[in-house]
Order: sequence, then structure tokens, then C-alpha cells
Amino acid sequence: MTVGRTVAILGAALLTGCAPAAKTGETVLTFSGSALGAEGTLVQKQLKRFMQLNPGIRVELQRTPDDANQRHQLYVQWLNARVGNPSILQLDVVWTPEFAAAGWVLPLDPYSPARSEFFPATVIANTWAGKLYALPWFADVGLLYRRTDLVPSEPKTLEEMVSQAQAAMARRGGPRYGIVSQGARYEGLITGFVEYLGAFGGRIIDDKGNVVVNRPEAVRALEFMRDELYKTHVAPLDVLTWHEEEARFAFQNGNAVFMRNWPYPVAAMSDTSQSKVAGKFTVSPMPASATAPNGHSTAALGGAQLAINAYTDHPAAAYKLIAYLTAPEQMLERAQVVSQYPTRPALYSDPRMRGTIGIPLENARRAIESATPRPVTPIYTELSEILQIELHRALVRQVEPQEALNSAAARINALIERTGMRKLMSGGAQESAP
Amino acid sequence: MKKISRLGHQARLGWTLVAPALSVIALIAIFPLGWTFWESLHLHELRMPWLGKPFIGLANYIEIAKDPRFWAALGHTAFFTVVSISLELVIGLYLALVMNRVFRGRGFVRAAVLVPWAIPTVVAALLWRFIFESQGGIANALLVRAGILKEPMVWFIEASTAWVPVILSDVWKTTPFVALLLLAGLQNIDLSLYEAAAVDGANAWWQLRHITLPLLKPAILVTLIFRTLDGFRVFDLIYVLTGGGPGTSTEPVALYTFNALLQNLRFGYGSALSVVIFAITFGLAMFYVRGLGVKLGGEE
Repeated sequence: MTVGRTVAILGAALLTGCAPAAKTGETVLTFSGSALGAEGTLVQKQLKRFMQLNPGIRVELQRTPDDANQRHQLYVQWLNARVGNPSILQLDVVWTPEFAAAGWVLPLDPYSPARSEFFPATVIANTWAGKLYALPWFADVGLLYRRTDLVPSEPKTLEEMVSQAQAAMARRGGPRYGIVSQGARYEGLITGFVEYLGAFGGRIIDDKGNVVVNRPEAVRALEFMRDELYKTHVAPLDVLTWHEEEARFAFQNGNAVFMRNWPYPVAAMSDTSQSKVAGKFTVSPMPASATAPNGHSTAALGGAQLAINAYTDHPAAAYKLIAYLTAPEQMLERAQVVSQYPTRPALYSDPRMRGTIGIPLENARRAIESATPRPVTPIYTELSEILQIELHRALVRQVEPQEALNSAAARINALIERTGMRKLMSGGAQESAP
Repeated sequence: MKKISRLGHQARLGWTLVAPALSVIALIAIFPLGWTFWESLHLHELRMPWLGKPFIGLANYIEIAKDPRFWAALGHTAFFTVVSISLELVIGLYLALVMNRVFRGRGFVRAAVLVPWAIPTVVAALLWRFIFESQGGIANALLVRAGILKEPMVWFIEASTAWVPVILSDVWKTTPFVALLLLAGLQNIDLSLYEAAAVDGANAWWQLRHITLPLLKPAILVTLIFRTLDGFRVFDLIYVLTGGGPGTSTEPVALYTFNALLQNLRFGYGSALSVVIFAITFGLAMFYVRGLGVKLGGEE
């Protein structure tokens, strides 16, 4: 115990060692973030404004890796050593329950944040065991990109999307691929699966904490994904090795009718000097399946959240900064400067938002409203790894979809038992359900 | 009496003189190994502090024994090691024999052959990935043009074909190393043996079987030991090329361990896996040294 504490203090001393000593009476916060590019400049500008408004607080930017996995690994090491810096943690959307259950971040409820002002899905994703642990800073959302010159009307159903893709591919000089997406064995595969799953009315874990990923709806969703590769041939087999960028290249070079991707490619694809599809594409939410009565249009939710490090000495000041950074003005500025989507629905009808994100605001808002968090559980990362492997095995046809999902369900259940999550998950999920 | 005490004195002096070296070994080898083993007897999940860090005896090892993914990974590792090393030995021996001949530009060829070995594994792996990755890639284009493939294929979505770039890149990268080790062995063979054999009417094949290979055995065994241990710890090449996919069809034990330890931060279980890998490689090394009589020191 004492050893642990000494190590923690040493670690903290090392981390803050190079910072100038605080003036007496001044509260010093550290903010975890990127110091690179337009994003870094924007963060520094907003932190400066915050300090002008709050003279007693000084905020230092602590550089942390932009790569999510690396940042996660660093955070976990620091928090295991009880280091109080950075005082404000920047969390990926699927980390909040993990950090909350570990006691590494503080509940925000004592500060009564205005949760109703944010998109409901972003609030659910940040809620664990009935308490809110982080505020959504910006949203990332799965979008269906469409070539408007080839398919003028938005597909109402998944089935229509497939037939539109086939028709466009069959045209003389039509693109080689119908639908491109992220199918390599990594987190991106899960985000795509979550969207098809919702379209067929399935889920991975239900509100009671039961694993339902091998139910008929889920099997049909996975079969549909597989059929796109081998039956309707709208998706090239290459996507089974693709990440976001490969899909973007294919779409940007005019080789695909549809693309599933995040909002980030909009800027590059609208640039006529590097894109063959500038002005010829739009986005919409992924449609639901026509054959599933409970299916609904679903988008995977991503994005960054801000939370208070449980070991910081200044939680109240830290919350002040979080509230400032997630306030409408700062979000608006983020959209204007780096095109990141606000997590406040009200901003989507704000005239100042026009032209900031490169696509119709209405479509972006609809997509985020259809957003579904991936399973909100502290054991998400391992759960995801299990699913990645089983989904990939089914999609490369090593096993049948039903068999793959049965195996995934069995292994997820074993994981839940091993980690003692059974009780916690049923309680937590129920309370955080919409 | 006097002699014994002098010996004792000498022994003490000896121990004192090697003490710094021994303590360095203890610090950098034995201490981490011991700690890893101690860690492997605990349930320690960095992401789940609510579980505590209880002592659980051999439970992690039992989980490993029951884990089909581990056994599959072990199988993949053995497959990779055996196939790639066999190819490397055969091709390496051929290259060594060629380089051992006297011809113009021999020095240049010997240096040039080392180029693949000098390229960092990750860079080499990216290169091979680029060659095989897309349907419009170089490998597909060449094979289609040569009429071997009817149409371009996606190499990384089937277990059998995903191994091709993996093994090819390892052979490409490591054969030069094998060739040079064997070349060094070849140069130790007394040329008069060949002259005598030739006088007696032995043909080249007979010379290879009865002179070259027996005398090359020490060099071959040293190569084997190096390459087997490397093969068993293969990580970066597969991490970059296939990520262990499709599914987990090309996942070696080192990648599985990395996943458990550094992705999932399961320190207890991951440590147990590390101990198992250590035991296997140590056992292999022992087998080579004791069983096959590889001499690593200069006691020849």
C-alpha cells in the first residue's frame, strides 16, 4: 500500500516535474489531448480562454498519444499507480464503463450536468450503474455515403440499397464495387456489425444483461453481411482486409456506389484536387431491413468524452473545464474549425452551423439520432475481441453465421462469469436503458 | 592442508571476480523471470481492479491448458517454424555452396545477399503485405500473367493462402542469414578432403553427402537452434502481415500472449503464457544442446 503510494507520488512528481511551480492559491489542472495540427491549436485557444474566465485556475496541456489504443494503455498504467494527472481524461466512447467500474473516473451527478441537452445515445454510453461519468465532447457516427450521380434517391431499406448498388454496377462504366466498408478483424468490423444488427432488430446484450447475439435477428444480420460478399456480390472480398482508409480510397477514386464510414473523409472527398467524387456524394443514416419488423435504422456511435480523473486534487475545477469545453459555443467552434460533430442536438438548427461539416446538417442529425452505443459494459474490449474473431470467421466462411454467433455468445458468457460482471451488468444496463 | 586452503582462497577470489557479472545476470534475467512466474500465479487484470489481485495458484495454467485458441496458436507456431526453417535450410545451403566457389565478384555477391536480412522485419512485412494485399497487387498481376491464377485472389481471407506471404517473407528475409552461417561452416572444411575424394573417383553428390554434410553438421545445428527459437517467438512479421487472421488462423503464441498481456492487460494470464513460451523455447534449446550435441562454446 505505502509502496504503491510512494510509486504513485514519484510518478506524479515525474510527470509534473517539468512544469513550472504553481503560484500559491492557484489551482493547476492538466488536460489530456493532442498538441498537433488544427486540433491542437484549437484546444490551446479554448484552454486559454477558459483561464481568462477563471483566473484562479491554470490549465496545462499534457500531450497524450492520438492513437486510441496507446492512450488507453497509458491511462490504465497511470491510474493503476493512482496518478492524478491528467486531471481531465479524454475517453473513447467505449471506455467510460470500464473506467467507471474501476473507480478511475468520478461520477458527474453531484455537479448536475444538463444531460437532456445531449443526444440520448451519447448519455447512455457514458452512464454506468445509473450514474453519469463523462460528458460527450464530440460525436463520431457511422454514415452511409452514396454517389448521388448514380443513385439519386436515398435507400429506404438495406434490400433497396443492395439492388441500387447492383443496378449502378451493371451500368456501362459503372463502378467496380457496390458497397465498401471496414471488414478487417478489428474494432471497425464491430461498428459495421452493430449497424446491420440494429437494422434487423437484434442486439448483442439485452437490457437485462443477457447475451442475445446468437438470436435469429443477429444471425440474419450476419447472413446478410455475408451474402453481400458471396451472393449479391455488391461488396468485394477485399473489404475483409480493409480499414477506414482503404474504403475511402475506393470510394474517393470513384470505384464504389456506397460506402460505410465515419464523417472524417468528407473534407478530403470534397476536395476536387484529390477526389473524383467531389460534389457527387452525400450521406444518410444506414437504412433498416425491410424484412425485420423490429429493425430500425442504426448508426454506430463513436467520439470523445471528457471525464474527471478520480485521483485529481481538484475535481470541482476539473468539472468546470469539462462544462466549458462541452458548452455550445466551444462545440460550435470545434465544428467550424475541425468539422467535428457537436453532441448537442440544438446546435444542428443553429444557423452558425451551416456549412461547417460539409454535409447536410439534417442528415448528420438524423444519423446521430439513430446512433446506438456498442454494449455499455466495463468488459467491452474483451467482448469486442471475441466478436471480432467470430464475425470474421463467419465472413471468410470458415464457419456458418449461426455457429460463429453461438460460439461468440458462449465465450462472452464465460467472460461475464470470469469477471464477476453478471450481477453488475443486469443492474447497470437496466438503469441506463433509454 | 595448505593446498586446500589455497584452493579455497582461489575459489573465493574467483567468485568475487565473477560476482558483478552474476549479479547483472540475476538482475536482467533471473529477477524478471521470477517476477513473471510469481505474477502468473495471480489473478491480476489491470482493467478490473475490482477483482483485486488474489493468489490463484495454477488456475491461469489450467485456463491455458483448456483454451483451444492457445493450442491452435501453438500449432500455427510449430507449422510456421518447421516449414519456414526447412525451406531456409535447403535454399541457404544451396546459396552457401554457390558462394563458397571461387568466382569473380564473390565479395559483392556475399554482401548483396545480406540485404534482405538487413531490412527491419516490420518494413519487410509491410513490403510483402503491399505485394500481396489488393486484388490489383503485384503478386496477383504476376500470377495471372503467368497463367497460374485465372483471376486475382484475396490472399488474406483464407488460412491456406494467408500462410503463403507469411512464410515467403520469412524465407526471403532469413535465408541470407542461414546461408552466411553455413558458409562460415563450409570454409572450415579442409579442401584436401575433396581432392582426395576426387582422386578416388567420388562424384559431387557423394562428396556432398559424405564430406560436406557431416562436417557441416555443427554449423547446421547452430543455425537450427537460432532459427527454431526465432521461429517460436515469431511476432512482428505476422502482426503486420495478417494480424493473426483470418479469424485466428495464422495467430502464433507470441501474438496471442501480446494480446492477452498488452491489449487486454490480463497480467496474470499473460504472464502464465509468457512462462509457457519460455519453458517451450528453453526445452527446445536444451534438446538441441544435450540431445543433438550442439556446441555453443569453444570446447571443440
